[in-house]
Amino acid sequence: MREIAAMALKDLRILLRDRSGFFFTLVWPLLIAVFFGVMFGGNRASEQASAIDIAVVDEDKTAGSQEFIEALDSGNEFSISVLDREQAFDAVKRRDAVAYVVLKPGFGEASRRVFWGEPPQVELGIDPARGAAAAMVEGILMKYASERMGQAISDQNAQRENIRSAREILAEDEDVTPEVRANLGRLFADLDRFMAEEAAYTDSADTIQSGMSGLEPIRVERTDVAGAVYRGPRSAYAITFPQGVIWGLIGTAAGFAVSIVVERTRGTLFRLQTAPISRTSVLGGKALACFISIILMSIFLYVLAFFIFGLRPVSFPLLALAVVSSAVGFVGVMMLLAVSGKTEQAVGGIGWAVLIVMSMLGGGMIPLFFMPSWMRTIGTFSPVKWSVLAMEGAVWRGFSFVEMLKPCGILVGVGVICFALGVRVFDWTTRAD
Amino acid sequence: MLILKNLRKTFGEICAVDDLSLEIKRGEVFGLLGPNGAGKTTTVNMAVGLLKPDQGTVEIEGLGSPTRPHVRARIGIAPQALAIYEDLTGEENLKFFGTIQGLRGRHLSERVKWALDFVDIFERRGDRVKTYSGGMKRRLNLAVALIHDPPILLLDEPTVGVDPQSRNSIFEKIEVMRREGRTIVYTTHYMEEAQRLCDRVGIMDRGRLLAMDRVRSLIAAHGGRSTVIASKDDGEVKIETDDPLGVLLNLRKSGGMTDFRVDSPNLEGVFLNLTGRHLRDE
Repeated sequence: MREIAAMALKDLRILLRDRSGFFFTLVWPLLIAVFFGVMFGGNRASEQASAIDIAVVDEDKTAGSQEFIEALDSGNEFSISVLDREQAFDAVKRRDAVAYVVLKPGFGEASRRVFWGEPPQVELGIDPARGAAAAMVEGILMKYASERMGQAISDQNAQRENIRSAREILAEDEDVTPEVRANLGRLFADLDRFMAEEAAYTDSADTIQSGMSGLEPIRVERTDVAGAVYRGPRSAYAITFPQGVIWGLIGTAAGFAVSIVVERTRGTLFRLQTAPISRTSVLGGKALACFISIILMSIFLYVLAFFIFGLRPVSFPLLALAVVSSAVGFVGVMMLLAVSGKTEQAVGGIGWAVLIVMSMLGGGMIPLFFMPSWMRTIGTFSPVKWSVLAMEGAVWRGFSFVEMLKPCGILVGVGVICFALGVRVFDWTTRAD
Repeated sequence: MLILKNLRKTFGEICAVDDLSLEIKRGEVFGLLGPNGAGKTTTVNMAVGLLKPDQGTVEIEGLGSPTRPHVRARIGIAPQALAIYEDLTGEENLKFFGTIQGLRGRHLSERVKWALDFVDIFERRGDRVKTYSGGMKRRLNLAVALIHDPPILLLDEPTVGVDPQSRNSIFEKIEVMRREGRTIVYTTHYMEEAQRLCDRVGIMDRGRLLAMDRVRSLIAAHGGRSTVIASKDDGEVKIETDDPLGVLLNLRKSGGMTDFRVDSPNLEGVFLNLTGRHLRDE
């Protein structure tokens, strides 16, 4: 083990002193991540989203509730999906929607009343961790409810009808004391007279609206949707940093593949093979160095992303799992590439060509969700795709541990198979020299 | 002690080494001489366990085959290619290869210091190898072979591409190692090096060991006769003889000799006589 560690330390030292290797392992991936992140809007990407996704459940199913939904939909604050209660809950749980809004039975009737009775009631379902978003949604709902109340009040004929209806209910209500009945009777009479006079003026709505500020346009009851999982990138960096790490993987794998050939062509491999250590130790040291380089490169990029670019992965443990699996996968790919030729030029050329194609098909250049489906299908054969998926799963897709098992398992499998094949070919070719 | 018995190795239809047997004694400097393609490198690779012979055996100091790691640890190798890391310093190279050879802690530090001193690069130990001269790199290549204090050394063309001063320095180091009692196998194209350094020489061509003996014995057996070349008033005369002194005395007596030269037989002549070709024609 000490020999493997010495081999790895030596390779890491050489990597740090090799300017081009250092550039392609650390600097280039960072440039990719930052450049494309800035180009696609950086952290403003989510802020610029034109509308907040909300699910609306219409349990009232009246013209009033329908009008309210149409009003919400016509504005640019919300993107509305009308669902049933269960679907709406799931949508918030999966974070396909920021919140759900249930228009409760009686919503339409209550919207028409202004001066008596319970206000229109809605249920707002949202993740309790998203307090700011809840306040924003509630405020927007209040705005639309207030507008509707204002419209109702500004319709004098409708309000006079309302007052007449209220006076009839008052007259029939035996529980009301004579004093209250007399007071309310005077109020309704005065209001009726006031409405009749105001109808003569065309610009009276503002005056009346301003007098309604103490009324409750809507009553919001919050419901917690705990454990919601966000399934969309919060910023462009959530996409570009995993891609940057992919470029780092590619650069590191290509660099180490060439370094094995360099050991071979410059004679150091001969010296190592004639030392009292096994071939496994020689290649194991190389693999360990490549693995450590990938891990360090990934940590470097994600730490920068966290502290400077505000990237907040959904799950750090799952991100660690994704990085480790990707490292295992690409160490294997590196080993297989290392035996693809006998000269530095051959391995460098073949290595980069293979890795670039893998990257193109696997979402290392263009995000997977931008790709046509046929390309995504072909990309299944590229370890880059599984690496991107694993990292995005941990960074913004909100994969569960079980969902992570598929991409991570494939990466580890690819790594083990490629490494075993590479070692086999390496063994065969070096013995035949 | 290094014993190679009936070694044979083929690559496809090419027979690189054919029924080669030799025994190198402890403390001996043995020269393996031959042109490119003679089979020297294949022989060395089998001797260190890197290549498995199709036939025959290799035995190191009575411990068995060098395919076993602890047996390989008895050998130090300075390959013809500079098998050192140019982006590491001289000291880092020695520490790394020392660790790979199983050295640890203070013993490793002491050996590194000794090796740096031995090849005269202690002052430059902290500089990257890429800044060293060709001669310094060659000496470091030798130092790496010695880092674990092996009793057997395989030196493959250790003076290729170095200036005369560094070459002399390497010769001096080899002389010191000989006095220390190390067994040295020395492959080279340069016959004068073999003549100067080696106790015995084996001459290889096309995978076969053509002759093996002490240098003088080989020359005596296969080098042919000395040639006396004299310039006289009436022209130049060339006389092959086993007694050049006698010939020179006779020429002097006959008078008119203005100049003379004696070409003694050497290993080049041995190779020419054995193969019909010059060693460096290849």
